[in-house]
Amino acid sequence: MNIRNRLIVALALLGLCFPVYGQDSLSVKGTLGDTLTLQNATVTARSREQKLREGAFAVGALNIRLQASTLQSLTQAIDKTAGIRIREEGGVGSDFDLSINGMSGNSIRYFLDGMPLDAKGTGMTLANLPVNIIDRVEIYKGVIPASFGSDALGGAVNIITSSRARNYLDFSYGMGSFHTHKADFNAQYTGKKTGLVFKPVISASYSKNDYLMRGVKVRNEERTAFVIKDLPRFHDDYLSLFGQLEAGVQDRSWADAFFVSALVSKIDKDIQTGATQDHVIGMAERHTLSYSASARYEKTDFLTEGMQLLASLSHTWDHSVTVDTIYRMYYWDGSYMEGGKSEIRGRGKTLRHYRRPMTVARTNLNYRFAEGHNVALNYLLNRSGNQQTDTFDTDFEPTDDVLFKHIIGLSYDQSLLNGRLNNAFFVKDYVNHLKIGQNELSTITGSGQVNGSSTKNYVGYGAGSRYLLFEELAVKGSYEHSIRLPISRELLGNGSTIYANVALKPEISENFNLGLFGTFDLGGGHTISYETNGFVRLVDNYIRATVYETEGMMQYVNESAVHIKGVDGEIRYDWAGKLHVAANASFDDSRDMRKYTSSGDLSVTYKNRTPNRPWLYCNAEASYTFSNVGLRDSRLRLTADYQYVHWFYLTWAAFGSASSKSKVPTQHLTNASLLYSWRGGRYNVSLECTNLLNSLAFDNYKMQKPGRAFFLKFRLFL
Amino acid sequence: MTIAMVSMLSMAVSCEEPEPEPEPEPEVVKDYNFDLFVCATKHGGMSKNKYGTYVRSVSSLTADQPRVEFTGKGIDITEDYTLESITRGKYYYQVPQKSTGGFVKFHIERNAAGEETIVEDAEVPFKDNQYTARKYTHAWIDDSTTLVIVGTVNKATKVIWSKLSESTMAVQAEGTLDIKVPEGFGALSTSGVLTYRKSDKKLYYFYLAKRESGQSDAVTSVTYIAVIDPATMQVESNTAVPASVMEETAGSAYGELMQNMIMYDEADNLYLAGLITVNGTEMGILRRIPAGHKTFDTTWNGFPNPEGKLLTIQYLGNGKALSYSQDPSLVAKASIDSKINFYSIINLADGSRERVKFNGVDLQYCGGRFSQRSVVVNNKAYIGVGGEVEGEAEETYPTIYIYDCKTGVVEKGRELSKGFCFDIIRAMDVK
Repeated sequence: MNIRNRLIVALALLGLCFPVYGQDSLSVKGTLGDTLTLQNATVTARSREQKLREGAFAVGALNIRLQASTLQSLTQAIDKTAGIRIREEGGVGSDFDLSINGMSGNSIRYFLDGMPLDAKGTGMTLANLPVNIIDRVEIYKGVIPASFGSDALGGAVNIITSSRARNYLDFSYGMGSFHTHKADFNAQYTGKKTGLVFKPVISASYSKNDYLMRGVKVRNEERTAFVIKDLPRFHDDYLSLFGQLEAGVQDRSWADAFFVSALVSKIDKDIQTGATQDHVIGMAERHTLSYSASARYEKTDFLTEGMQLLASLSHTWDHSVTVDTIYRMYYWDGSYMEGGKSEIRGRGKTLRHYRRPMTVARTNLNYRFAEGHNVALNYLLNRSGNQQTDTFDTDFEPTDDVLFKHIIGLSYDQSLLNGRLNNAFFVKDYVNHLKIGQNELSTITGSGQVNGSSTKNYVGYGAGSRYLLFEELAVKGSYEHSIRLPISRELLGNGSTIYANVALKPEISENFNLGLFGTFDLGGGHTISYETNGFVRLVDNYIRATVYETEGMMQYVNESAVHIKGVDGEIRYDWAGKLHVAANASFDDSRDMRKYTSSGDLSVTYKNRTPNRPWLYCNAEASYTFSNVGLRDSRLRLTADYQYVHWFYLTWAAFGSASSKSKVPTQHLTNASLLYSWRGGRYNVSLECTNLLNSLAFDNYKMQKPGRAFFLKFRLFL
Repeated sequence: MTIAMVSMLSMAVSCEEPEPEPEPEPEVVKDYNFDLFVCATKHGGMSKNKYGTYVRSVSSLTADQPRVEFTGKGIDITEDYTLESITRGKYYYQVPQKSTGGFVKFHIERNAAGEETIVEDAEVPFKDNQYTARKYTHAWIDDSTTLVIVGTVNKATKVIWSKLSESTMAVQAEGTLDIKVPEGFGALSTSGVLTYRKSDKKLYYFYLAKRESGQSDAVTSVTYIAVIDPATMQVESNTAVPASVMEETAGSAYGELMQNMIMYDEADNLYLAGLITVNGTEMGILRRIPAGHKTFDTTWNGFPNPEGKLLTIQYLGNGKALSYSQDPSLVAKASIDSKINFYSIINLADGSRERVKFNGVDLQYCGGRFSQRSVVVNNKAYIGVGGEVEGEAEETYPTIYIYDCKTGVVEKGRELSKGFCFDIIRAMDVK
């Protein structure tokens, strides 16, 4: 390897170890240390994100390091990715629904360093995971490598935590509108004598979420008529606490890494609304407390040269309580009517306990048997329980449901033609064992149909290929026959706003992707890169969320067949790491392909567009980074972004006159931020304004999102 | 003829009863529209439909009219209003889908573009009582100037009522009925069924005592009749109905917001459709509270030898009624949408009944356990059938047949576009 190549590698590694401020290429001019002098030389290295995008699968990759210095949650960052749409129900800590290329959020699986995110407890989601510990996010669209041991149908989100070689301390505190506060601490310490590595993480966030609800209906003073007012949310407090300690060793003869960790997380959440904002709740709450213990082991050259073992095991004790013990009906001004129905379920009073123990074991064995040829065997065991008891409703009979999954994957990757052609093939076997104990509201939940236990086996398979014609043009395609088993939230509900539907069937889909990508180096530090991906998803037993308006409750149901076709694309321009402009757009067309109803009649919704889902959305972002502003070794980054989501119908588009139909209106959201860092990123201050134009925005029908808000964050990285 | 029929009916009720004054011919309703409610994919009653509810308002249902289309036409009420509603004149009255704690009055009219549209005339909050959409029952009193709403709360253990002025929709009074869950039972029916009888100026509230809320096994229920003074809302009598007479009313969860299960004849005899268990199977039964009485005539059954459950009844005049009932023997395992329901004309004099026929052929079986696809207006019954024949789904259309109450002649009426579940016909004044 010559000096230039080594320099490229070194700089690439450097770029991975320190904040890069978003650019995909790294340019260096002038003097570099005392040993080497380059005159006007430009070297370029691909970031990990770029390399991932250029793999055989359709992948979106996101550098999160920069977000660590802002108060944005992971959901806000991911929402700006091509083909991704996140629908939030409210402010900080609210439930959300993520879709990838038109597939519903629950068709998507989430992983943290390859392990199911659920293993951190049901309360931990993209919305409250501490951003400071995250390095990057990989978003797999439709076709998911076997290494995840996953039954995802629409895609997978893999969150990669930061991995640094040196000791460090990272602390941040932010505050903002709606009484929002957030503090994060994480560090790494390696004992000089023992070599033991300790990685503590502590995170706390709180928000009252008391943003203004515009145009809501309340009673007049005489309580004889309704009037329209703008009023703040009054029962939406959210508190999240997260603590984790990881300890272990690295670079030993018997292990590249061996770590054990313990985790505790606590979420306290007031419940403000049902499935729509017309259903106002003023007393009900949900509390979740989770503990987790886990271990992971990594070893290269395991048993033989070229074989790598990754093994992990975790167990989570998860206990959530939904408090619904008041017979009241609230209005947005905080007044209420003493009624005869509980707030959430509209039935009797309940203090429902959900204990959801989860055990996850994952083994990944990779063997590179020749240059450019790799086989991998993966096994994932996931046992999740759902025990329900009620300490208020004496009529409730305790239940104990168990979901048991074994997923075995075998994959073969090859790199040919000097790396220009990459192929991947995989097969997955899913074994699903379900034991249903609950029988409450059997006509709604279907528990009468599925009482008892059952075991089923499904097989999935797929392949992907990428061919690099030139630097400016590469083509890739992938296919998967995928299976997605219903998750516990869909099968068993959430204890508050979602009914169980234990009769749900697994989703099965044929997923196709065909994409182009490339990079143009225009010289002078100007680069333009692009990627576009066309996709087809042919889904059977599509699982769709429906709303029981009367009761403000939701439930997941099967649609017998849904076909989704679409395209997304992104173009990025970068100038010398200073100016960065990116824009993406996504379109998908989802059609109900069920021809006959269950009673044998022609279905009137056959070939109609699936309702209540966004199908056209765009993002644009521009940023400029100034160097040495005010202080030496400082950076000032100004960013503005814009998001557009086209309006969509809540119900089937074809039926009824357009003027009579309920719609989720178009969103125009503009955000702006300023980030100033000095001492090489040691100190960081960010100021953000979200929803700059104070637009009235909805992700879901009659669920207003926050208006204009300001956030300030200080981060110290030592 | 009418007088003779009424006389015969009265004789049949009780020989001791004085002959009522002859009733005038029913007033011919003019200038009315038909509002047709359909649902996509599944029938919509009891909130079973999650796929969309649509309504068209048309002036005629005769066969010379073009097929009623819903693609791009009509009103999508899915998110705002329930299929189940109180109607009077041109107005709809209901607790809407959205949980506002209020009560809404609206009507359907055409906008400048000629499209049907819903115009909300009023929305008022209740004072203290909280009702759930579609889970209440109602009656009109004071010459139909006052609307009484009744529902249950506290896990169906407490019966609440509210009175509203029809003109202003102001809540005039609210309270709780003096009805308790009987000893040995856990809950009352979700709404019960309320009706007002003009001849004795009393409210009749039919409700069930159940082992527990949501329990649906009729044999364990007991039907009660509470007679209520509409002025004070005091319960004057509260009588358990023997199981041999009726175990349950035909419906008990949403009053008559969708399906008709109570009717009156010209003599103001009160008829109630109900259930009784025969050899372990729930069967329909039609009982009558004769005018001047406050309990059922246990010797009279207007629905003998039932094939299955009696779902709806509507009085046609001249001692005849239209029934919508089930024959579960047609399928191995009947479900709510099974095509096992059919229409018959009941001769109330002797309980005999005959399937409604067109050109000598029985009208086809329909799906939709919770449907009210028939309406009686201006001496004609408009009877909708689903157009759902298994295996022939693409060739058949939902069709309305028109039964002449005077002559018994059935003619074919207007068709609806196929593929929808046809649920309700309502006749609405347009003035």
